[in-house]
Amino acid sequence: MFRFALRRLISGGALLFLITTVAYALLYAGGGDIARRIMGPNATQEQVDRRAAELGLDRPLWEQYRSWLGDALTGDLGTSWFSRQPVLTEVTDRLAVTLSLVVGATVLATVLAVALGVLAAVRRGWIDRSVQVIALLGFAVPGFLIALGLVLLLAIELGWFRATGYVPLAHSPGEWLASVTLPVLALSASAVAAVAQQIRGSVIDALDRDYVRTLRSRGLGFRQVVLKHVLRNSAGPALAVLGVQFIGLLGGAVIVEQVFSIPGLGQLSVQATGNGDIPLVLGLVLVTAAIVIAVNLLIDLCQAALNPKVRLS
Amino acid sequence: MSQKRTLVVMAIAALALSGCANGESTAPGDSDTLTIGTILPPTTFDLEGREWGNASPFYQAVYDTLLSATPDGGVEPRLATEWSYDGDETLLTMELRDDVTFSDGSELTAQVVQDNLEAFQESGATAAVYLAGVTGIETTGEHSLEISLAEPDPAFLNYLARDPGVIVSGEALNDESLAGEPVGSGPYLLDTSATVTSTSYVYTRNPDHWDTEAQHYDELTINVYEEPTAALNAIRAGEVDAAQLASNDNRAEVEAEDWDIHTVELDFQGLLLFDRAGDMNPALGETKVRQAINHAIDRHAMLEALQGGYGSVTSQVFPEHAMGFDPELEEHYPYDPEKARELLEEAGYGEGFVLEMPMSGALGSTPYTLLEQQLNDVGIVAEHTDSGNNFFADMLAPKYPAAMMSLEQNPDWQLVQFMVAPQAQFNPLNSQSDELDTMIEDLQYGDGQEQAARDINTYLVEEAWFAPFYRVDAAFATSEGVQVDMLATNAYPNVYDIRPQS
Amino acid sequence: MTQETAARRHAPGRGRGLPARLLANPATALSLAFLFLVTLVVFGGEPLAPRDPNHSSLHDILVGPGGDYPLGTDGAGRDVLSRLLVATRISVLAALLALAVALLLGVAGGMLAGYYGGWFDTVSTWLTSLVMSLPAIVVLLAARAVLGPSVWLSMAIFGVILSPVFFRLVYSLVSSVREELYVDAARVSGLGDARILGRHILAVVRAPIIIQAAIVTSTAIAIQSGLEFLGLGDPSVPTWGSMLNEGFANIYRAPMLLLWPAVAIALTSVALAVLANTLRDELEGGARPAGGPQTAEDGPRETAHAPVRHRPEETGTGRELLSVRGLRVGYRTPAGVREVVHGIDLSVDRGEVHGLVGESGSGKTQTAFAVMGLLSRGGRVLAGSAVFEGNDLLAGGEADRARVRGRGIGYVPQEPMSNLDPSFTIGSQLVEPLRVCLGMDRRAARARALGLLERVGIPDPERTFSAYPHQVSGGMAQRVLIAGAVSTEPALLIADEPTTALDVTVQAEVLDLLRDLQQDLDMGVLLVTHNFGVVADLCDRVSVMRSGHIVESGPTREIFRDAEHPYTQSLLDSILDGGSARGPLAPTDRKDVDR
Repeated sequence: MFRFALRRLISGGALLFLITTVAYALLYAGGGDIARRIMGPNATQEQVDRRAAELGLDRPLWEQYRSWLGDALTGDLGTSWFSRQPVLTEVTDRLAVTLSLVVGATVLATVLAVALGVLAAVRRGWIDRSVQVIALLGFAVPGFLIALGLVLLLAIELGWFRATGYVPLAHSPGEWLASVTLPVLALSASAVAAVAQQIRGSVIDALDRDYVRTLRSRGLGFRQVVLKHVLRNSAGPALAVLGVQFIGLLGGAVIVEQVFSIPGLGQLSVQATGNGDIPLVLGLVLVTAAIVIAVNLLIDLCQAALNPKVRLS
Repeated sequence: MSQKRTLVVMAIAALALSGCANGESTAPGDSDTLTIGTILPPTTFDLEGREWGNASPFYQAVYDTLLSATPDGGVEPRLATEWSYDGDETLLTMELRDDVTFSDGSELTAQVVQDNLEAFQESGATAAVYLAGVTGIETTGEHSLEISLAEPDPAFLNYLARDPGVIVSGEALNDESLAGEPVGSGPYLLDTSATVTSTSYVYTRNPDHWDTEAQHYDELTINVYEEPTAALNAIRAGEVDAAQLASNDNRAEVEAEDWDIHTVELDFQGLLLFDRAGDMNPALGETKVRQAINHAIDRHAMLEALQGGYGSVTSQVFPEHAMGFDPELEEHYPYDPEKARELLEEAGYGEGFVLEMPMSGALGSTPYTLLEQQLNDVGIVAEHTDSGNNFFADMLAPKYPAAMMSLEQNPDWQLVQFMVAPQAQFNPLNSQSDELDTMIEDLQYGDGQEQAARDINTYLVEEAWFAPFYRVDAAFATSEGVQVDMLATNAYPNVYDIRPQS
Repeated sequence: MTQETAARRHAPGRGRGLPARLLANPATALSLAFLFLVTLVVFGGEPLAPRDPNHSSLHDILVGPGGDYPLGTDGAGRDVLSRLLVATRISVLAALLALAVALLLGVAGGMLAGYYGGWFDTVSTWLTSLVMSLPAIVVLLAARAVLGPSVWLSMAIFGVILSPVFFRLVYSLVSSVREELYVDAARVSGLGDARILGRHILAVVRAPIIIQAAIVTSTAIAIQSGLEFLGLGDPSVPTWGSMLNEGFANIYRAPMLLLWPAVAIALTSVALAVLANTLRDELEGGARPAGGPQTAEDGPRETAHAPVRHRPEETGTGRELLSVRGLRVGYRTPAGVREVVHGIDLSVDRGEVHGLVGESGSGKTQTAFAVMGLLSRGGRVLAGSAVFEGNDLLAGGEADRARVRGRGIGYVPQEPMSNLDPSFTIGSQLVEPLRVCLGMDRRAARARALGLLERVGIPDPERTFSAYPHQVSGGMAQRVLIAGAVSTEPALLIADEPTTALDVTVQAEVLDLLRDLQQDLDMGVLLVTHNFGVVADLCDRVSVMRSGHIVESGPTREIFRDAEHPYTQSLLDSILDGGSARGPLAPTDRKDVDR
């Protein structure tokens, strides 16, 4: 188990290195007149040239990359060209916000999806069909429309939640909740749909297993068998889908953060790519890729832990 | 069904936990707190990234400027109490307040102002060019100094009321941390722990500020809404007390919330016909072709279509508050496609020609579409190329003979330096004529400044250097509890001019 | 691996052709019709557009639907209908471009990597995980910053990002069929690698690829509209996403603008999803009546003769434990309810071993399940009674039956491994019913379980107790199941082919164990089997079942001595001739026996 984890960790690190190299090459090679973009239309050409030299943009690409990589290994991802804040702080400041949303949406999606999926699988009939329809709707309705509907109803009409902005958890847990609830709901809609479908499928699959009948034959209630044995055995496939959904939610956060004006990684990505702030874009690629790799690793480890055949070998 | 119920349950749970989320503690609507919505964040708080315009409230809250703009377009004292020019307007003498302390405890002295101006002059900030004409600064006392100019600059005092006039603590001037942690003498202090860069800036009242009259609130929050719909949602949900509207699209909805809209015509939108000599596109070298373009545009319909009618159509680039402004010129080029075709015919372009221009996603596709259509109607094939992030670079390189742009309107001298003078930024092909040069000289020196400005304006309109469409209403919206005095020269009022409704 | 087996299963068609079967489902038919409409618009929509989609009319900004503009105009005075028609073409083709790129890279890469293995395998698997670690939307944002806005370009890049979907699918399928017989045979017969890849392997992976393609296409449409919603599209090209963006900008002024592109996107996604689901069901066999018995109709249909009864006077003696009367069991199928047990009578006395004998598919197991109230999904009791210790189990509710299970009736299944939950230890599966049904505390339940394991002849009970099912042998597992069945000391034990899945040597030991336990606990046993050898060994009485009817019943000795029904005679003849313990009638696929 330990060696399995270690091997995955090393290959994850190598992957990260490869990603940054490719990203660096692509971003810098196609950057255009970067200094002019930074300086805006009012600056003179001398100002622009001076800034280019300050940023080291006049050096060969290979050299720029080598020094960036050297710094990156010591935890220094450079400085944003626009805000001149360290990229690492910019990104980590936003990370907590996006993780609040994405983790919240994942948890909510899991809870709702397990409830809906199990209900659909066990009851079938009209409940099943309703869940299928909900799943299709969640799949088909664009996330920002859901977001907008939630804002109009729950924030503007009823005034229950914040329509925009983000309050850090440390500042006030209550207001934090009021600020993340709608984005989390909007974000989780599509994930609920996908995961509920998956759970429905794997629960139906597990319900057909022989051991369900055998356990029931010994006097265990149906509910008890479903909640303990069927769920446990459906967890593996559900976890795999959750992993995929988590990564999808990171992408969905870009749009939701824009609609709710929430200072997360998504908003930063839009700003950074819009400005052509290459060090920041690179930092974002690095950090999001690291999150994805970490989540995949975590899921693999959970899968292994869930499966006694793997865990005990 | 069950999902709906779950939603409601969650909503109630969240409500209970948040202790009625809305309208409590630091929420807007509270007379002790002012929350402003803006459309763009400031880049930094240091010299390199210093900006004005959309960033002005962020700066004004923490920093004082030497002078301050007044609603009628003039300047009034701020850090400087008195100032005067010598006879040929190249030496400016200035007296400073003696009771100003920065948030790091240091004091305002003439030396600090000198250091600030010199450092800003050397910085990479875009507004540093405004100080390019400063040849020397000398302190003449603890709180007095003299600024020497190479030649008269009629706009110089205006500059000292905006970014070049921002004064940072002398001790923090070279600190690396200044980018994120401003050290100034302004009415508020930036609460960096509660601030989220690029999104939400929280300020608290500066207890040591010299001008208590300027402090109307205990706390000031400035939120950034890059998505117009998010801004509108914030307004409708009562999450801001005042907000800059990104466009006039949603004005009716804001008014429906019983908000007041304060407008100022700040920018003009139109075509910048850079290639007046015909170097890149020979057709543009013909005055008649440029005039034809002006006649091809249905300004009233454009204003209606793009700005919902909020603004004024115009054929001149001088703003109403400028000396050179001439009401007669507003409708100089009425919409007349027939005339446009005739002019093209006379210029030898009866068959039409192709006009290549850059485009930027920032304006959306609609204005380009409408423009292309109207030019096409008179035989000019307008081809737009999306320059993406390189829009400014491409426009000013210049890679294209003309471009559609929304540009700020400045008082006479500033305007001339910005887009008319041979070396002006927005005159990238350095168009000039002897006649124009003489008029510019008259504006800079001599007594007939007003006449010179009018002459320049008339010349630009008749020669069709530009094809302006209209001046756009910049709208600043305030909720019922807030009143403001707008400025003629900025999208935002001075922070100290926003106060509780009395 | 389910896809793999499923894919192989699909190969021969099932009667009607695939298109006909797809059209039979109304949702699928609607989806197909909509997609057909979309296709028509994609290829023939442009000429239908009443106006130039980019022609703006300065005086017709945000005109409502009707009149000159059937769907109104947008913020630039452009005809919404014309734009919708052209946008459909561009959005769909761009999504198909993403699909094409993903297919090309994923399928080709997966085939080569799966087929040849080696370094190509290593490299491409690595590249796949590289691509999969990239957050798609950030990559697309960055690409736009560098390369400019182009829906074609971003969709091509998205195709690369999606290619691992196909790569993984094809790779796992191909590498698992690589060494299979038909590929080997193809090699022997001299087909080149290219021909093998093309002809044989493509046939296997085709179905899952088609399903994934539908999903990938709708993902591409979704991400495309997401990017354009952020205002990152090419403003000069009408697409669904750019129309959505335009609509969102005017959402308070002209909400209808949002409707058309949103409907187009939503319906296309839904249609693709429905199609993918139906295709999955059709091509991968998910639509077979779930869990139903294989068949009860394959044999000659038995006319409702009265069964041959030997010594009917021995029933109704008062020692009766279970008395089944007129039991009919049916399964729901698309064609209506299909009856698999046609009204049988059966009784088991206290302390008696009653054999229920018949060939696969005769309805014996369904009878047993019906008595316990544990029929598979879709199955139900149509008529009859099953009186156990004075109560009719079939008349009461599920709660009544649940109370009887465990303490009243125990059950030993046929297949040992699949009847143990692989995720829990053997011990916990034994302890759980003891605690729930008998209300024992943890320690007592554990002691009882260990005692039972010892009683059923497991050498090291402690170790087996804490082992997982995959760590014990089949024989051990069957002993564990027997221990579980008798742990709650039931009065009746239903044993369903308890030895069929075991090695011959183990079979005898397990039968011995059953007999010992039966005698110790004085249980009634209903022994379901196809094996007259076992019957002879163990049973006091026998009922012979065929095609859902009981054809003959009576004391074992009498049946063996003079069976009257020809079917019983033929069964007896076959064991005497063949001599095999399992008998020639036993099907080879153990798992599906008598389901």
